[in-house]
Amino acid sequence: MKSNKTFFLLLFIAVYGGAFSQTNSVQFSVSTTFGATHLDLVDSAFTTSDSKHLKITEVKFYISKIQLLRNGKIVLEEKNSFHLVDAGQTNPLIIVVNNTQNISFDQLKFNLGIDSATNVSGAMGGDLDPTKGMYWTWQSGYINFKLEGTSPLCTTRNNEFQFHLGGYQKPNYCLQTLSFPIINSSKIDLKLDVQKILEQVDLPRTNHIMSPSAEAVLISKVVANAFTISKN
Amino acid sequence: MKPKLVILSLLCFAIVAFRSVDVDLFKVPKNFPKPVYDFSKNPLSEDKIQLGRALFYDPILSRNNMISCASCHSQFSAFTHVDHALSHGIEDKIGFRNSPALMNLAWQASFMRDGSINHLDMQALAPISNPDEMDENITHVVFKLQASKLYPKLFYKAFGDSVITGEHTLKAISQFLLLLVSSNSKYDSVMRKQSVFTSQENNGYILFKKNCSSCHTEPLFTNDDFRNNGMPVDTTLNDFGRYRVTRNPSDSLKFKVPTLRNIEFSYPYMHDGRFKKLSQVMNHYTNGIEKNKSLAPELQQPIVLSSNEKVDIIAFLLTLTDHSFLFNPDYFYPKELFSETAKD
Repeated sequence: MKSNKTFFLLLFIAVYGGAFSQTNSVQFSVSTTFGATHLDLVDSAFTTSDSKHLKITEVKFYISKIQLLRNGKIVLEEKNSFHLVDAGQTNPLIIVVNNTQNISFDQLKFNLGIDSATNVSGAMGGDLDPTKGMYWTWQSGYINFKLEGTSPLCTTRNNEFQFHLGGYQKPNYCLQTLSFPIINSSKIDLKLDVQKILEQVDLPRTNHIMSPSAEAVLISKVVANAFTISKN
Repeated sequence: MKPKLVILSLLCFAIVAFRSVDVDLFKVPKNFPKPVYDFSKNPLSEDKIQLGRALFYDPILSRNNMISCASCHSQFSAFTHVDHALSHGIEDKIGFRNSPALMNLAWQASFMRDGSINHLDMQALAPISNPDEMDENITHVVFKLQASKLYPKLFYKAFGDSVITGEHTLKAISQFLLLLVSSNSKYDSVMRKQSVFTSQENNGYILFKKNCSSCHTEPLFTNDDFRNNGMPVDTTLNDFGRYRVTRNPSDSLKFKVPTLRNIEFSYPYMHDGRFKKLSQVMNHYTNGIEKNKSLAPELQQPIVLSSNEKVDIIAFLLTLTDHSFLFNPDYFYPKELFSETAKD
């Protein structure tokens, strides 16, 4: 009997405590998919809707300036908000934004990429460290988004395609601001569907983008539209 | 009350004393403007400067551990690659351009002949990665530094952390580069009224102010901007300069206006090192200008100079030589660090 009581007490603490800690923060989980499938770079043969086989070898991108808003006003903002998402990592990236006062919100905003001001501020650490392979060396600037792989649609060497999207100066400013309606959730799943991107890109014609250009801006918009969010 | 006051004044004194140490590491010369570099994001310290100096001279930055920054930037030539029109890097590969002289970098807003680099901290990434220069990458450089005997100690001394990062590596290199200040030429002492020009130098100075200083602005002798100075394109290189970065046709054939300080030792001249002698440079400006759409507005009217006047201008340019810079022991190869005992 006694042990039963203790069990219920512990269960109560676990459930209540869990719920309590949940409401004190907003937890984002960022992952990459191909359609409905989790994107696994090690064994990544996928079939597109037109039955063409392709392989994805790299997906890396920056998410920055995470903000939560209510009635269009910022109510919660992550400080020093720069995150490198790497589909090569087995676990999704977890970002925790503290919400100690349980502020309610109805909108999520974040940037895909690195803003202009940060691009001209010299050497930085953490996810912005140039050793992360997301900084151009021949011309200054962060690479906001990287997607590499092979497709029979590409008549390139080894059928490779490579998209390195970036550019911090107008008219080729690639940064995208994304906005989603979401009401008071302590757990938010953020998913990037690579299939959506590749179905929008004319791979036989466009398979190499390695520098800031009008095309890089265009594809950055396609990438931005491939994000979805859901409450967890 | 009184002990509090004592503590307070001691604290103030400590803060002032601490600050004065920092200020001593980098002094803005009296006749110079405010630096562009934001020192607050990379506060100078003696240990960081010494680390940067070690990195500048260490070929560990290159793929085969043979080429250092100093390979193409030697002090005696004002930190450029003397005697080579186009600088050569790893395995004697010939680069695309003449390496620029390095000095007064704290006043520069962009780097490279075409301004492709937007911050001094990020500059070193370009030669480290260029296949004709060091052919390495910063991630592997950090790996090699971490595995060395010397560097974890030096990084710990400098940054309080023996875990080496790209950020700390680049910031340390910046600190050494920032100290490369040339401000003690004869020209500077004349400006400070500690010395006087000869009449030939003075005549050259007057002609210089009339014909050259709109781009080679005093006291840095560059306006840090880009200009097409009328040089016909070298068809073996087809280097269109700034256009490569901006893709704007109006930037075609524009290159960074270089400083003229220490020009006596930084030959050959121009982005492709096409001129070996200053007299050739003079002749270009009087007789060699090729007119095209992007030609500098300053060069639209022909520059007319007699051969005597050209000689006078050159005499003035030689007053920009700064021996205390070219032979400053603070910039020497740090042999004390690289001796075998120091590495153990």
